[in-house]
Amino acid sequence: MSASLPPLAAGAAAPGAARAAAPAAAVGALQAALAAEHAAVYGYGVAGAHLSGARQRAAAHDWEVHQAARDTLAAMITARGARPVAAAPAYRLPFPVHGSRAAVSLAAFLEDRVATAYLGVVALSGARLRLFGARALESAALRAAGWRGRTLAFPGLEAPAPSPPARGPSGPATPGPSSPGPASQSPAPTGPAGG
Amino acid sequence: MVREATRRGVLAAAVSLPLAVSGCRGIGALGTPPRPQPDVAVVRDAIDGETLMISRYNAVLAAVPGLAGPLGPLLQQHHEHLARLRARLIEPNPASRPAGSPAATASPAGPQVPGTPAAARAYLRRAERAAAQTLLAQLTAAPPSLAQLLASIAASEATHALLLSPGRRAG
Repeated sequence: MSASLPPLAAGAAAPGAARAAAPAAAVGALQAALAAEHAAVYGYGVAGAHLSGARQRAAAHDWEVHQAARDTLAAMITARGARPVAAAPAYRLPFPVHGSRAAVSLAAFLEDRVATAYLGVVALSGARLRLFGARALESAALRAAGWRGRTLAFPGLEAPAPSPPARGPSGPATPGPSSPGPASQSPAPTGPAGG
Repeated sequence: MVREATRRGVLAAAVSLPLAVSGCRGIGALGTPPRPQPDVAVVRDAIDGETLMISRYNAVLAAVPGLAGPLGPLLQQHHEHLARLRARLIEPNPASRPAGSPAATASPAGPQVPGTPAAARAYLRRAERAAAQTLLAQLTAAPPSLAQLLASIAASEATHALLLSPGRRAG
């Protein structure tokens, strides 16, 4: 049983319900970002296994960055009186990853998803949370651009469809807006909202 | 019937009372154009910033045509930023914009830019970083969805700066 990588829409609710005292919107957005970081940690493990040399080192570096971000988010959620969402045991990949090109595409895809999740934090009302979300969004966009070798006009807001770089069908993914909700155990397609 | 008329009279008095209380202040407000909402000012500033970035790219491309390949996609994305920002602004009379804004004061000849590829890229890199910082500084003044757009554009501009770094090929 594997979970799909997190849906684009931010706002997954905390399991076990956030306490009444916790700012629910902030906790929800932070939980969605945490879910995306969990998925990124898993996905970079897969990507790194198919890379070598400088690109493997880059994947290992980014893997550590996402682990640190995961821990930061978990601490922020705990400080708000909620329980951080746990990682799924495994995640369904958006396309088969059997070689370095697909591994690089996967890394860019993971960063796109992380960027979108942090955009949910940018929509919060607190100034510090907004800036935190914006800086995390920028970091994800920079890593995505590094993997992709090109830039996007609207990182986080509009992501290209997940597809391996070259030949081969992109699988049964049906691009379209994913419904907001808990990422785990959702059979929803992993396609991003088209733009 | 008399009762009905009386009730109507009471209702009319109840409705007109607040207007009477607000008095001349209400009349004065009608004669003054409404001040722009804070987020309108934020959008205008962002539009001015994107317009300036586009003029910088165009000036660089005029001075160093050999950079057209790598700079083309970045310039295109600035046009996309500008279009998205303009879509958020409904201005009944664009000519009435306040003077003194960057777009209004920009020289028609365009900014002065370096003439060598490396220096031109460094110039644009600095400009992209500054533009991204300017957008981030506006984040808290914007309503949530506009803050998301500003943050996304700022992130895009940060990636532009990355691809303009020495040793990287933009595009």
